[in-house]
Amino acid sequence: MDFDFSDDQVQLGDAVRKWVDKGYTFERRRATEKAGGFDRAAWNELAELGLCGLYVPEDDGGLGMGPVEGMVVMEELGRGIVLEPLAQSLIAGGVLAGYADAATKAAWLPKIASGEALVVLAYQERAARYKLDVCEAKATQAPGGYVLNATKSVVPVGDHADAFIVPAKINSQLALFLVERQSAGVTTRGYGTQDGSRAAEVNLKNAPATLITQDGLTALEHAVDIGIAAACAEAVGVMDKTMAITAEYLNTRKQFGVVISSFQALRHRAADMKMQLELARSMSYYASLKLNAPAPERRAALARAKYQLGTSMRLVGQQAVQLHGGIGVTEEYIVSHYFKKLTQLEMTFGDTLHHLGEVSSRMQDTAGVFA
Amino acid sequence: MDLAFTPEEQQFREDIRAWVGANLPAEIAYKVHNALHLTRDDMQRWAKILGKKGWLGHGWPKEFGGPGWNSVQKHLFEEECALAGAPRVVPFGPVMVAPVIMAFGTPEQQKRFLPGIASGEVWWSQGYSEPGSGSDLASVKCRAERQGNTYLVNGQKTWTTLGQYGEWIFCLVRTSTEGKPQTGISFLLIDMKSPGVTVRPIVLLDGEAEVNEVFFDNVVVPAENLIGEENKGWTYAKHLLSHERTNIADVNRAKRELERLKRIAKTEGLWDPAAGGAAALRFRDEIAKLEVDVVALEMMVLRVLAAEKSGKNSLDIAGLLKIRGSEIQQRYSELMMLAAGPFALPLIREAMEAGWQGDAAAGALGGFPGGVVANAPLASTYFNMRKTTIYGGSNEVQRNIVSQVVLG
Repeated sequence: MDFDFSDDQVQLGDAVRKWVDKGYTFERRRATEKAGGFDRAAWNELAELGLCGLYVPEDDGGLGMGPVEGMVVMEELGRGIVLEPLAQSLIAGGVLAGYADAATKAAWLPKIASGEALVVLAYQERAARYKLDVCEAKATQAPGGYVLNATKSVVPVGDHADAFIVPAKINSQLALFLVERQSAGVTTRGYGTQDGSRAAEVNLKNAPATLITQDGLTALEHAVDIGIAAACAEAVGVMDKTMAITAEYLNTRKQFGVVISSFQALRHRAADMKMQLELARSMSYYASLKLNAPAPERRAALARAKYQLGTSMRLVGQQAVQLHGGIGVTEEYIVSHYFKKLTQLEMTFGDTLHHLGEVSSRMQDTAGVFA
Repeated sequence: MDLAFTPEEQQFREDIRAWVGANLPAEIAYKVHNALHLTRDDMQRWAKILGKKGWLGHGWPKEFGGPGWNSVQKHLFEEECALAGAPRVVPFGPVMVAPVIMAFGTPEQQKRFLPGIASGEVWWSQGYSEPGSGSDLASVKCRAERQGNTYLVNGQKTWTTLGQYGEWIFCLVRTSTEGKPQTGISFLLIDMKSPGVTVRPIVLLDGEAEVNEVFFDNVVVPAENLIGEENKGWTYAKHLLSHERTNIADVNRAKRELERLKRIAKTEGLWDPAAGGAAALRFRDEIAKLEVDVVALEMMVLRVLAAEKSGKNSLDIAGLLKIRGSEIQQRYSELMMLAAGPFALPLIREAMEAGWQGDAAAGALGGFPGGVVANAPLASTYFNMRKTTIYGGSNEVQRNIVSQVVLG
């Protein structure tokens, strides 16, 4: 048992932090948000750091790293509330490397690693909420492969992505496909999201598709778990910075002739936030360290983690705004942007109530970190 | 970074499990698993079994006769004991006063006091709080006046847990009223059989007398019972409280009690939504929340242990462990009581003792109303657990400490 980071992991984190501090200022972020919520130039900078290929095997042009490295990177991106969805590259790299055939891997993994191809998971549907086995999308065999008919919702950067990973049913069997955005029959309608980033409705009408795997549910669950671990780590970074911003404000703002951090009611609120942050950090470690466990153990662990993170995010975000007072609810001041990011993360890859249900239905007679 | 225990640690766990399985008396484990009343003999019997093996002071270094385990080994030992249903070791001797005697006592004092603590022969109590000194412990007034080779002690201690069984008590006493309150405190060991010592039980809201008032009326204490230097006791007390804080999270016990909560929920029809409907689903979700709380607490504890083991002791989260651990203890006791519903309400003292409750044929009163689970102590345990957010530095005091980390 060991929770120390290796020197390489520390260096990786430092490199990302340096880029966030120097290359991803709040002004740049604001400009990106105004321009629609996605900046391909920033994306390319992430790719230059090697981050898009974090989960792509070295033989396919990636870094071939594991969940702990993913966690380190996502936490740093969270600190800067980076809009570009690196988690999608972790998912795409992990899923294609784990489930696709050799030809598909060779065609896509190097491009994912280099940042040339932005591949995102397009799985959400109107009727499914967060359930992964509810899927209206249909796949039918066609000459040279498959065609898909589907509508997928709130797909991250859906109108900028180069390709989508799409679950669809062949007869009643859920399978996973790759669909290129430029293909015939693909239409997208993009929009900004609450946290300032970008998403789209993606409509597929007889769109040509490459089969990734017939065992679609297994692969989709894995994809979402990679996403959950990434979201947990990102959330820890967002909360860590939110705490720091709030602490600084409490130690600066004066009322009744004294800094407001001298008031016990506010100090105790800060202690409650610190509690939630450290519980969240602990469960983010747990999520990443369980990401390579056998599927049932992994699923149970990731649901526990996302439940904790959701609970923590809501408390830390809401209280950060409250402790700032009026300035906390303005668009101009930075803390509201951290709050919105936390809110959106809570509702990404299953919200807190959803994961409570997952934990509840999976409960065994005994429970603990190792059970 | 790695979550797994090493093969050596796994083996260590197996060895401990086998030993506890072979040596923990079944009737004691039964009582613990059902939260039944433990007698002094129950507690001391287990303490002496551990003592004979050299594990009552399981946190002690080798030079004082302990096993010299690292933080992870200690945790594994505590976990195996807790899950097997061993009573929690009464901490006042082996966990609290012994480290102070080791760190600050003379070789003579170590030779005199440590063997009796290690073997479980001598029952120690804690004399810290006073009627006027709760959270503000540095304000203690119990007076010790130096008279030649003795101290004359006058005053009162309170909330002395299990003090009715105590043979010795370690006390914070006032030896000077000059300067800051912290600078006039001394750490004194007192034989509770001394003339002038009176112990009076305090009946708590659950009807049990778990804590006591201890009165000192012109008690003569040999000066050789002073630990370290006069007026330096506050330093020693802080050393002791740092030991108490990590111990107080009690995550292993929480894991055991979570299992028990699930058993109770099953018996009461609150586990399976397919059979119990919406009521079962609602209750099950509450257990699920607690399950995540317990896992998250365990992860925090493991982080602290790993940091201790690797020597990079930069974690500032020990205060959080006390807050969270105590809240969880309250929550599982609350859910257990709620699970029993109206059958948590009958107050039948005999049912709290081991043996007959739940067995309608054997009970003098014909069994406990409501049937076969250990419902009798559930409400009492709930009431009793209100103490956990109060003792060991109330959770509000802990939040002050945590806020210093965040805000300076």
